[in-house]
Amino acid sequence: MTEWITRPARHIPEDELHAYLDQALSRSQCAEIETHLSTCRACQAQRASVAALRDRTTALLSGLSPRPVIVPPSYLTLRERHSHRLAVALWRARIKRSSLWAAAVVAAVGSGWVARSVMDPHRLPLVTVPLAQASAPAPIASAPAPRDVAAELERQAIPVPIPERRTSFAVRQAGMGARSSQAVVPAPRLQLASLVIPAAYSPSAEKSSINPPAAANLRPFNRIWRAVSWEEALQIAGSGLPYIEGLTVVGVLLQPGGPGERPTVIVAQQDQSGEIIQSIEGPIAKVSELLQRQGTAEMHASEAARTPPDYVESPGGGVRRTLRNLIVTGRLPVDSLNALARMAAIR
Amino acid sequence: MDDLERLYKTHYAAVVRFLYRKIWDADRAEDLAQEVFIRAMAHRPEKPRAWIFAVAANLARDEARAAIRRKKHLTLLKDDPIPLSTPEPSAEDSVEREERWARVTGALAALTERDRDVLLLWDAGLSYPEIAAQTGLAVGAVGTTLARARKRLIEAHDRMDYQAGAAHS
Repeated sequence: MTEWITRPARHIPEDELHAYLDQALSRSQCAEIETHLSTCRACQAQRASVAALRDRTTALLSGLSPRPVIVPPSYLTLRERHSHRLAVALWRARIKRSSLWAAAVVAAVGSGWVARSVMDPHRLPLVTVPLAQASAPAPIASAPAPRDVAAELERQAIPVPIPERRTSFAVRQAGMGARSSQAVVPAPRLQLASLVIPAAYSPSAEKSSINPPAAANLRPFNRIWRAVSWEEALQIAGSGLPYIEGLTVVGVLLQPGGPGERPTVIVAQQDQSGEIIQSIEGPIAKVSELLQRQGTAEMHASEAARTPPDYVESPGGGVRRTLRNLIVTGRLPVDSLNALARMAAIR
Repeated sequence: MDDLERLYKTHYAAVVRFLYRKIWDADRAEDLAQEVFIRAMAHRPEKPRAWIFAVAANLARDEARAAIRRKKHLTLLKDDPIPLSTPEPSAEDSVEREERWARVTGALAALTERDRDVLLLWDAGLSYPEIAAQTGLAVGAVGTTLARARKRLIEAHDRMDYQAGAAHS
């Protein structure tokens, strides 16, 4: 005769009861525990004990609050602090870049001066010019210099490169002629063509007949890109120009759209550190195409933001809607570009 | 209202409390909580709630280190817990409240760092998987740690309560 041994069901471990009361178990585990609890008095008592422990802990910790009521400050204030911090970071980066640039210029001028003094067989003896003062009218050390020495120094003096003051695009255009005679170092050149626009479609290529674009390549861009002034772009694109408040506009490229379509626009702006940021606004397919053609790996793009669509009359009657996107690209981190994209407004 | 703004409104108080229980300075806790959310604006984390508490824990740790450098007495790092600042008590129950305060902070300081972290994260509203991700524990071990931490907190508190009662009598 077989003797059946009935084993008592396993009691619920204490940590499982904690997890059960904290609602950290799956449904099946909860169901299993509840089934056991319905029949096991020991586990019911244990459950009550754990619940009391849990409640006392919560009560004790609730007394450790800095204030009876904690009211968060306005989220807008926090946002402003975030924007301010971003601006300060950009400003610091600009200062760092400028000081590096200035140091490089001083080093270049200084080494040039030294090399010239050493290499020149007719160099003037007994006259030393500190590197840092190489560009200034040369102070003569102690003895009064003869007149021809002073004249020679004046002749050799290299004018100090003056960093170009960044102005708005319109002002820059207007002052271009007047500034040409000054000794200035050009600002970082905007290389829109190499950044986003394939060489075949760049404005320079448009004027040149050296590399005519292949017909197959032209298919997705069968209209010509034009570099236009901000005012001209405003006239052509109307209210469809992307613009990041507070950054200087350094160039606008524009490709006219089809009938009823707004043009595709690339607005290049320069931030305080001198970094070029491009806002690209146009039909989704075209914007994606431009991004794919973007050459360098260090260029990043923000997430696409939807802009007002175009409504185009289709040949068979009716109206077709073309969706459009806005993307901000540049060498900044994606997070920063996303923040700038949120700031970008359609003018 | 974006997700982060929603999280800010629902979790700001929890983050302040969490930080306060680590650094025991109400004003500094609020400053650090705002710093956490400003950083979240810049980073846009995928799991913002867990990220916020992870950053808050790091900031609290840095703050504690800085306080040590300034030779301040921090409750959680000293044998004899003396809170840097306690909430301003009302006139009638200030003594009793201060004693109660000292017992709870003392009990919390009696826990191991891991037990305390798990307990504070749970009290801040984090789930078991979030606590596990932040502390490096297995999810299954969170329940065990939490059970032990609760038990030790209550035991330490009751022991201090008994000692205080004996001293008064």
